[in-house]
Amino acid sequence: MTRGKLVPWLALALVVAVGIVVLVVRSRPDSSPAARAARLEQQLACPVCEGQSVADSNSPQSRAIRDDIPRRIAAGESDAEIRQYYVSRYTERILETPSNSGIGIVAWGLPALAVILGALSIVVAVRRWSRAPRLRATDEDEDIVRRARAESEAGDVHPDSHPNDEAPGDEDGA
Amino acid sequence: MTLARFRVRWIALAFAVVLVAFGVVLAVQTRSEPSIPRLVLEHATAPQLHLKTLDGKAVTSAQLRSKTYVVNFFNSWCIPCQQEAPALKSFYDQHKSEGDFAMLGIIIDDNAPTMRGYVRDQGIAWPVLVDPNGSAALDYGTTGQPETYVIAPDGVVVCGTLGPSSVTVLNAWLAAARGGQQCT
Repeated sequence: MTRGKLVPWLALALVVAVGIVVLVVRSRPDSSPAARAARLEQQLACPVCEGQSVADSNSPQSRAIRDDIPRRIAAGESDAEIRQYYVSRYTERILETPSNSGIGIVAWGLPALAVILGALSIVVAVRRWSRAPRLRATDEDEDIVRRARAESEAGDVHPDSHPNDEAPGDEDGA
Repeated sequence: MTLARFRVRWIALAFAVVLVAFGVVLAVQTRSEPSIPRLVLEHATAPQLHLKTLDGKAVTSAQLRSKTYVVNFFNSWCIPCQQEAPALKSFYDQHKSEGDFAMLGIIIDDNAPTMRGYVRDQGIAWPVLVDPNGSAALDYGTTGQPETYVIAPDGVVVCGTLGPSSVTVLNAWLAAARGGQQCT
């Protein structure tokens, strides 16, 4: 490969590499105490309300949890340990996302199962369609083709004309 | 009908049955609010207490060791708490002289000055503890007020309720706790 042809590929590789680096750097969660506390407040559901996270709720329990999280972070507890403490007090209902064990597996597993089943269905359908017999020529069709070939070989019919075209004299009923 | 098509129809039917069953399960699920606290259901050990009373005296779990004690979460503005207060007073008056008995009130979502007035007006004679950052309420996993817990001498939460209690119920719980029995 010449140098001229190599340059676009190198440029493409560079763009992809920069994209990957940016994605990796941007998707890494901020580990500052304030960011962790904010993240945990979003991950925990208000234990006494419906449809609100601890971050959004103004219930006494949510306020107490908001006060409690920074203290636990300062005490060196990990995010998982902090979540586990609240689960031990308020059951898994306090988690905004289902856990990856027990009944929570169903919530994570069902969408994945649906995607796999959908993909399998598409594969099966495409394979079946590709194996399905195409339209077969009827005896009548083959007869038309045979006659057209015979006439073409005899030189009576122009190759571009249709075999069913009537001869000019036929219009008069001759 | 070919064998393959027959099989596909059965798989589709089975999938549909599973989906319908899942939908029915979700539809009939009703979320009932429990009245028995989680700590009671789990026969859990009572959370450690390190709080101060309204008049500044420290109260810790160590002081309550080997006693049967009642913990009541309450505040001044909660109507069920106000309705429950006479029963708690009557119950406390019956047992306050018993050496192995203690009763504590823990303030939930209220401020100390208001509570001082409320305690005085209601004639509450048992120690009332301030829980400034709600950590005791969180440790007990409270979901509102009033909530009452009865803790046996071995430190296990044996009885309790989310909501107001009565003298009869409290006496039954106290007897159960002293007798080494669980309420659930």
